[in-house]
Amino acid sequence: MRVPLAATLPEGYNSLVPTACPTIRVKVLFFGRLKEIVGRSEESVDLAEGAPIEELFARYGARHPELARFRASLVASRNQEFAAWSTPLHSGDEVAFLPPVSGG
Amino acid sequence: MAVPPNTDLFVLVREPIDMAALVRHVRTAEDGAVVTFDGCVRNQSHGRSTLYLDYEAYESMALAKIHEIGAQVHEKFSIDRVAIAHRLGRLEIGETSVFIAVSSPHRPAAFDACRFAIDTLKRTVPIWKKEYFADGAVWADGELPPAPADTPAAKPAS
Repeated sequence: MRVPLAATLPEGYNSLVPTACPTIRVKVLFFGRLKEIVGRSEESVDLAEGAPIEELFARYGARHPELARFRASLVASRNQEFAAWSTPLHSGDEVAFLPPVSGG
Repeated sequence: MAVPPNTDLFVLVREPIDMAALVRHVRTAEDGAVVTFDGCVRNQSHGRSTLYLDYEAYESMALAKIHEIGAQVHEKFSIDRVAIAHRLGRLEIGETSVFIAVSSPHRPAAFDACRFAIDTLKRTVPIWKKEYFADGAVWADGELPPAPADTPAAKPAS
């Protein structure tokens, strides 16, 4: 049953996030060996507004220890640009964790 | 592959790369040189016999990064046109995975630009290859692209 309080909460409120921050939804993409570890190529994730990419990665690292071990040999991207791990995320962002590239 | 006239050309393809079409595309009456790079699938890796390769890409970002390389070669070198094609999916031994063609009035610029383009592509474009052998498969060793350093107070993105 929906409690009346919910109607007063900000849009995007997610009861799994124990803060008053508004939540955002970002798209996360996995490629190469990371896709094999996580078992999927993309996922939508809810986070607190402004959470850094590092925090998003930490969630996956907790779920997939093998992924956490690759941290030093990954770079992050936000909206198709390489990005620092400290980059804050906003609603609708597309994030990827990229293994060393081997095209050509 | 259909090529628009009078422009550079950057494509990701899943069929064999039409190298002759790319050369025709960059070559104009003003050019005295066309330099090409044909990256092809080798039959071994670290002493193991390769059966085939499978390439995958973060396609939207890969294409954006290839366009950036195109803009950089025009800034850095006196070239006319550049075409870059990368193939994705399963490639057999001897097939072309990447092809670059650069035209210029004089050859040094075309050589330099072609070299810069392939070296930069291999370092910055999010494409990965998995190498299949008789007894297993591995993701190829790659290069970690340069990324912005962390800052405690990263500038909020717009």
